[in-house]
Amino acid sequence: MTSFFDILLGGVFHAAVLFLVAAGLQLVFGVQKIVNLACGSFYALGAYFGITSVNWALGAGLPPWMFLPVLIVSGILLGAIGPAIEALLRTIYARDEAFQLLLTFALVLMFQDVLRFFWGPNPQQLGNLATEYGRLSIGAFSVSTYNLLVIAASISIAVGIGAFLQRTRFGRILRATAENREMSQALGVNVRWMYTSVFTLGTVLGTVGGALVVPTAAASLDMPVELVVEAFAVVVIGGLGSMRGALVGALIVGLMRAAAITFYAELEILAIYLVVIVVLIARPAGLFGKPIE
Amino acid sequence: MQNKRRTLLKAIGGAGATVAAQPYLSFPAIAQNTPVRVGIIAPKSGIVGTIGECGLRGTQFAVERINAAGGIAGRKVELIVEEETNPKDSIERLRKLVLQDKVDCVQGIVSSGVSLAMGAVAEEMKALLIFWDGTTQDGVKETMPNARYVFRSTDNECEAVMASLLAIKYWKGQFATVAGINPDYSYGRNNMAAFQALLKKFKVDARVVAEQWPKVGTLDLTTHVAALKAAKPDLVFSSLLFADLPIFMRTAHGAGLMDGKTKFVFPGAGFQHTLLKKEFTPEGMIFGHNTLYFASADASPLQRLFVKQYEEKYKDYPHWEADRAYFAMQVYKAGVEAAQKAKNAWPGKEDVISAMEGVKIESLGGPGHMRKDHIAEQTFYQGLTTHKNRYDFATLGQVDRMYSDQLQKPTGTDFWKWIETAQIKL
Repeated sequence: MTSFFDILLGGVFHAAVLFLVAAGLQLVFGVQKIVNLACGSFYALGAYFGITSVNWALGAGLPPWMFLPVLIVSGILLGAIGPAIEALLRTIYARDEAFQLLLTFALVLMFQDVLRFFWGPNPQQLGNLATEYGRLSIGAFSVSTYNLLVIAASISIAVGIGAFLQRTRFGRILRATAENREMSQALGVNVRWMYTSVFTLGTVLGTVGGALVVPTAAASLDMPVELVVEAFAVVVIGGLGSMRGALVGALIVGLMRAAAITFYAELEILAIYLVVIVVLIARPAGLFGKPIE
Repeated sequence: MQNKRRTLLKAIGGAGATVAAQPYLSFPAIAQNTPVRVGIIAPKSGIVGTIGECGLRGTQFAVERINAAGGIAGRKVELIVEEETNPKDSIERLRKLVLQDKVDCVQGIVSSGVSLAMGAVAEEMKALLIFWDGTTQDGVKETMPNARYVFRSTDNECEAVMASLLAIKYWKGQFATVAGINPDYSYGRNNMAAFQALLKKFKVDARVVAEQWPKVGTLDLTTHVAALKAAKPDLVFSSLLFADLPIFMRTAHGAGLMDGKTKFVFPGAGFQHTLLKKEFTPEGMIFGHNTLYFASADASPLQRLFVKQYEEKYKDYPHWEADRAYFAMQVYKAGVEAAQKAKNAWPGKEDVISAMEGVKIESLGGPGHMRKDHIAEQTFYQGLTTHKNRYDFATLGQVDRMYSDQLQKPTGTDFWKWIETAQIKL
């Protein structure tokens, strides 16, 4: 039984990180109809900037246990790059999806060089800070407390976004804009400001995701592409543009990956994309997506 | 940046060459005036970037010493450094070094994926090439049994063979189930298979209960660790050796995999030794340092000097890639000087190659020699980890030392047959 929980938690932890990035991707597509491949780059930037911020904070005398708030704040601050990127993407909102994909893929490659320029070519790690919060042990079951905190943070963010979209005035306007941009504009909604805000929020989700995962992993130049491969499986399964889809898709991908690694380690990617193919055939719009007319 | 590096390396060569070359004054003037040009191809980025960097530092140490002592047979050494990336691009850089830069010798290469492809090209070009850590094996099968221009490092499986022998020596009878987590390419697969073959040879009846094959560069190993823990193995064998190793150790510690009596065998952990902090690296695990254990109690004065300078200069401690690079440079130097002595004139490439066959040298980590079939033999170090040291990472308490003629197949032998039939001492 403890083994089952170990494997389950491994899958949920992976899903928690995937959700944050996929949520950003969904939010941006839902409102702006842009498939933003650069979401993987925001994730990587968050990881690298998180390491720099924590090292700076520790150097300034902050106690090691404060590294988690530092990571979250660094991810939020890094969201400041969102408006600049959105301003660039604004030039192609009306263009064909192929242009959008090309531009956002160009951003992925450019950000890779930005990372190389500022942090060098080698993977960066945060040492043993993840052990700072200890472990939760119940009998033979043991889990890193930090992993639980990341899962909790991800759930909180999911609940927070849900409440924000459903219960706030801004959320209602945002959903209305996603449904009908022209009508919103006609009713006086500042769509440009709305787009900038949504894109920045999407960016923050990615950068916070990267910052949160780095104490348990490492920041590397390959991060953006590797993550995008899985994030797209999440949005295809969940349905492009659906936040609920991001949550369910991330859970399916995380748990499928955990099951595959446990029983047939070689079939990790195959198992995930098998689900993608089944969903594409049986429900092309994804589990929670709206059929495209 | 590239030019700056080259300028720097040339400066190193020049500074060393200012020291008098008294024993070589009888050489022809042309030989003394032109430097020996050595091309280096080493990784500078990605998951093996730090490994290439450590190797380059070993080469620079070797060149500084060689030039300070008068150079190679009276000629100073000049380095031209290129980056090792994928096989195709790395081979282009080999061509550039040989055809454009007109180097006398090329050294380097960490990845066997690159060296396997590059070896054949070097033979075709008749370019003298000495690998630091790459082999010309396809899996465990030698593809260039009669290489003329290519000299390669020890078999990749040496460290797995030694770690397996130590596991049997220390723990035979104490484990009945084993699990593996190894990188998903030929190195990881062959190491795990070699471990199992040696268990069979020494009649250790252990059942494999889990095998994990994460891709190189997998940075989230939470589920892999959970799967290992679920299998409840008595012993875990892992050839992880890049940035994924510290991540595995941290994750395994967090999941409680290291709390019980499970034994751990890590043949290639030395690449990451300074990142394996005491907080999450247990004592008593088998830990491989390959051909250089920086803290060896009976280290030679040469190794002590290197480690001291390395620590002062880079605030770090070297691993085995520095030794491999140093070994390659010394083998070349010894070959040139032996050929020069025999010929009493500056030797040609063919003379140098013949002289390198069988040459013995003292490397940073200990004695080594280049076999007649162009495969290196070196001294290997592994042992059991301890926390009783002045560092924040684990070192070796019990140190075992073996020469690679006990760890790798002899000339022309099949690896698996050799394991079955060899008289291997525990």
